[in-house]
Amino acid sequence: MKDMSRLLITLTLIAAGAGLILSMVETLTREPIKEQRRLQMLKALSAVLPEYDNSPDTDIVSLENGVDKKGKPIQVTFYRARKESQLVGTAFKVVAPDGYSGNIEVMVGVKPDQSVNAIEILSHAETPGLGDKITQPWFKDLFKGKSLDNADWRVKKDGGEFDQITGATISPRAIVGAVKKGLEFYRKNQQKILAEGGQQ
Amino acid sequence: MSLIKEFSKGIWKENAVFKLLLGMCPLLAVTTSAENGLGMGFASTFVLVCSNIVVAMLRKLIPSKVRIPAFIIIIATFVTVVQLCMEAWVYGLYQSLGIFIPLIVVNCLILGRAEAFASKRPVLDAAVDGMGMGLGFTLALFILGAVREIFGSGALLGVDLFGASYQPMLLMILPPGAFISLGLLLAAMNKFEARKS
Repeated sequence: MKDMSRLLITLTLIAAGAGLILSMVETLTREPIKEQRRLQMLKALSAVLPEYDNSPDTDIVSLENGVDKKGKPIQVTFYRARKESQLVGTAFKVVAPDGYSGNIEVMVGVKPDQSVNAIEILSHAETPGLGDKITQPWFKDLFKGKSLDNADWRVKKDGGEFDQITGATISPRAIVGAVKKGLEFYRKNQQKILAEGGQQ
Repeated sequence: MSLIKEFSKGIWKENAVFKLLLGMCPLLAVTTSAENGLGMGFASTFVLVCSNIVVAMLRKLIPSKVRIPAFIIIIATFVTVVQLCMEAWVYGLYQSLGIFIPLIVVNCLILGRAEAFASKRPVLDAAVDGMGMGLGFTLALFILGAVREIFGSGALLGVDLFGASYQPMLLMILPPGAFISLGLLLAAMNKFEARKS
């Protein structure tokens, strides 16, 4: 019995010490981590949006777009970029669930005329050397200026007009499909998205 | 004198990777480039040194019946510290190592040193041992990462080596490349050792 309580006390003390250290480190790193994430976000936003002078990461509107597998509503956040308080573009994240391995997250920047300003791949796990060419500038540039009205949103192999990547058709197909869906959602909800105010 | 020996054994004679074949999971998974190898190596070294020191400090207080859970708590604490610090100050590396940072916890090299060495030796010995073992592990990760990066992407530490005409051996970046290059490296080292003796 005495032995037992010694084991318990030792483990409890060690765990308590660990908790103390961790809470201290967490306090120390909370702000830098938040800042890093924000910088990452801003980097992606400035890559896909035209030049702006507000801070789009706080000028946002969130809309629901369907439900996920568990029946929870999926929130899509729209980041609005303004220059001299004129709206110059909107960015939002789309997820391509049908990549070659796992989801591909893409940030899409849309101009007020509903054409794509630029896209940026946020995260993916495609095959190195093949599917991961989706992150190269020439591929991302294929989307510049394309809108639902002036482009056929399929890869060339499927009869559309987007170049696929040699040896990797699945990744570009997934991205083209996801961006197209995103644009359709944007068109349907443009009034709500561009409504003044929104959620600050 | 013996401290120097404790340090240097981890680099070559008892190198965790080349001699003991410990820590294979992070070794094979993250060495797609020399930079990733270095980052993983230094993160593991930090955890190893800290956990060795704390385990050696507490070695008389921890009852042997609960030593393994106690070691795991200590190791996990330092791994979380490393993870938070990397996310805060070296975000790029944090993203490219991804899931393998928390998985340092299960690197058997670290638990192995705690159990086999630090729990029986004074603090200074344990710290030096952790440093040597960690740097040996880092060296191995760096060599394997460099080999794979040179052949698989024609670059070293992100610097292009062969110009645009080089056709990279994709296989080396993919998982099989890790096994193949590790096997060849081990074979070359054994050959070298055999000739020496």
